Order: sequence, then C-alpha cells, then structure tokens
Amino acid sequence: MPEQLSVFDIVANASLLVQAVLVVLALASIVSWMMIFQRWFFLRRVVNEVDEFEDHFWSGIDLRQLYSELDGHDDLTGIETMFVSGFKEYVRLSEQSGAEIDSIMQGVQRGMRVALTREEERLGTHLVFLATVGSTSPYIGLFGTVWGIMNSFRSLANMSQATLASVAPGISEALIATAMGLFAAIPAVISYNRFSARVDVLMKRYEAFSDEVTSILHRAAQARISKA
Amino acid sequence: MLIAVRYYSLPLLMALIVHAFALAALYGGWNPSKDVRVIKPQIVHSTLLVLQPKAQPRRPPPPQPRAQEAPPTPEVTKPEPKAQEEPPKVDREAERRRKEREAQQQRLAELARASFDQALATESSALALGNDEVVARSYQLGIYQLVVANWSRPPSARNGMQARLMVELIPTGEVIGVTIVESSGNSAFDRSAETAVRKARTFEVPIESAVFERYFRRFSLLFRPEDLLR
Repeated sequence: MPEQLSVFDIVANASLLVQAVLVVLALASIVSWMMIFQRWFFLRRVVNEVDEFEDHFWSGIDLRQLYSELDGHDDLTGIETMFVSGFKEYVRLSEQSGAEIDSIMQGVQRGMRVALTREEERLGTHLVFLATVGSTSPYIGLFGTVWGIMNSFRSLANMSQATLASVAPGISEALIATAMGLFAAIPAVISYNRFSARVDVLMKRYEAFSDEVTSILHRAAQARISKA
Repeated sequence: MLIAVRYYSLPLLMALIVHAFALAALYGGWNPSKDVRVIKPQIVHSTLLVLQPKAQPRRPPPPQPRAQEAPPTPEVTKPEPKAQEEPPKVDREAERRRKEREAQQQRLAELARASFDQALATESSALALGNDEVVARSYQLGIYQLVVANWSRPPSARNGMQARLMVELIPTGEVIGVTIVESSGNSAFDRSAETAVRKARTFEVPIESAVFERYFRRFSLLFRPEDLLR
C-alpha cells in the first residue's frame, strides 16, 4: 500500500491557482482572527469604560466638576468625549448673553451627536472586513475547488483507463480550497454578528445617555434663565 | 503607527496561535493510523436447508386444533333433545357417552402432543445437523472460489470438462496433498486444476475441529469451471 497522502503534500502539488486561492484564504483567515481578537478586547474595554463612567456620572458628582476633571485630557473614552463635547457647547452658549433655551439645547445635541457618530465609527471599524471575509471567502474557496475539479477531469479525459485513483488526488486537492474558505468564513460570520449586536447595544446606551445629559442640561438652563 | 502596533500585536499573536493549532490538528488528524484493519468478508451462504425441516413440523400441529374443535359440537347439540325426552334412561347413557368422549379427547390430545414433540425433536436435530453442514458448505464455496481464482485456463480446456481432486488439508488450512481422482480426459486440464489448488496453498477452514475433521481433513473437490469459459 502506498504511503498516504498528507494534506501538505497535496497542497504542495496543487496547481498554482489553487495554491494562490489557499494563500489568499489563509491570509484572510489570519487577518480576520486578528480583527476578532482586537474587536473582542476593544469592545470589552469599551463596555467596562461605559459602565465605569455611568457609575461615576450618577454618583451625584457636580457636572461642572466632572467637566473640569475631564476637559483637556487626551485619552478620553467615547462616552467621556460625548459628555465633554455636549457640556462644552452648553457652557459656551450659555455664557453668551441673551441666548435662548432652544438654541442652547440644539447646540448641545449637535455637539453630542458629532461625538456619537465618531464613536459609532470607532466601534464599527473592522466589522465590515469581517463581513466581507464571511461572505466572500466561501466563494473564493469554491472557485479554487471548481478550478481543481475541472483540471482533474480534464486530465481524466486524457487517460485511456479512468480509475478513481487518477481523479481522487485532484478532487481532494480541490476540496481543500472549499474547506479553507469555510474555515475562514465561519468565525468571521459568527463574530461579525456578535460584534455588530454588541455595537448596537452600546449605541443604544450612548443614545440613552446623551438624552439624559440633554435633559439635565435643559433643566439647568431653564433654572438659570428663570433666575436671571 | 505605534498605536497600531500596540493595539494589534497581541491579537495578531493570538490569531497566529489559533492557526498554528488548526494546522497542528490537521497534521495530526490527517493520518489516523497506518494499520488499516481489513475486515474480510465472511461468506454468508443461505440455503433452503433450514427451511425444509421447519416446514414439516408445521404440518402436524393443525390436526390438534381440528381434533379439539370437532367434539364440542356434538356435545352441545346431541344431549339436549335426549335429556328432554326421557331423563332417567338418558342419565346412564349420557354418562357413558361423556366418558367415551373424554377418552377420545384425551387420546387426541396425546396424539397431538406426541406428534408435536416429535416434530420439535426432528426440527432441532435437523437444525443441529444443518448448522454444521451450512457452515461447511459456505467454506466449501469459499475454497472453490479460491481455486477458481487461482486457476489459469489451459488452451485445450473446453466447456463441460470436469476433474475430481482429492485435497488434503491440515487444521490451519494449508494444503498438504492434491491428487487427481477422476480425470477429465485432458491431462493439461487436470494439471491446471491441480496447480490451481497448490497455488492457493492455504484455504479458509472452520475453527471447530469437529467440522474440520468431518468435512475438510480430506475432501474431494469437483472442479468444473464450465461457467467461466466464454
């Protein structure tokens, strides 16, 4: 009995196109796993930061004091940036004499929306890449498979006696490409779904937080104007 | 750039570890074991041998229900009218009839039981006898096929030629002797048959020594490959 073909021998003897497909898929898989880990750590960190900041925010601290604590720092987290930009707008507009409540609140909301959009962008980076890998790598793998099977059948046509042994290595080689494509795609799809759900949850929290800040500032502005 | 390195070096490392594991699993799992266990197909040979003795005992039981069914009918119909006509005289006669009937019934039941027992005995003995024979026959078939597989047809062989060989085996199945008992008339054919047996060298034989001694220690093989010639 001849020695069994190892998968590495098969890949080494595969046609150039199949090898190229395999390389592309391997790279896609490695990069997507890298993104998966990076996003995983990142989102976990962001959730922790949001939890921490909300605790701090609702601990009864004076908002001016919180603002002065945070303002000027470079490494603000997303939710902190949102608060700071909203509050900065509020301070700036309310210091102008004769400003109306509506225009102040509009300014605050605008400032926070900008921060929110930037934060959404930051949360969603690489997710598009994962989605792309998840949806296209099966096709890339399939392309390699179809090409390999095409070749093995073509070589079969040239043989006088067709045996299973003459086509089997070619088909095996070709199927590796599909396997590779699925190997790259499955984790990418799963993690894309997971992470996008997490980003959605985080965005909901941000929005709720920005609404809360707006209403607090609205109340403060009203009290100030009625006092004046 | 520095930030990118800080953020992505650990994930990249972990991704590479994941792939290294996958590759290792692939490398380890691809060649499970070199010693492939070949399960030899056992020759399953079914014949009607077992069915025939079974069919015989089935036949005797039917009389039993029939014998039991028959008596009850007179029992219900006959005594009643007579009992109504003259009660005192009937008393004795009815008793006599009843006894007679009982005796008859008992006899019938005994007969049925005896026939059933007998049938059972014949069936079990046929089964015991048949088992060995069925086993032997399946091995014989295997031996014959092996001989045929090893046979190379001489040019002078014709359809319908047959040679009877006496083959001697030892319990391991090795051939220790082949002689031609009945020639086909064509010496080339005879020789080819003998060579086929010698070339086979070892046959599959049953492990049970009783079966071996009875059927395979020394047996004659009728070699008639007529269906093989085209």
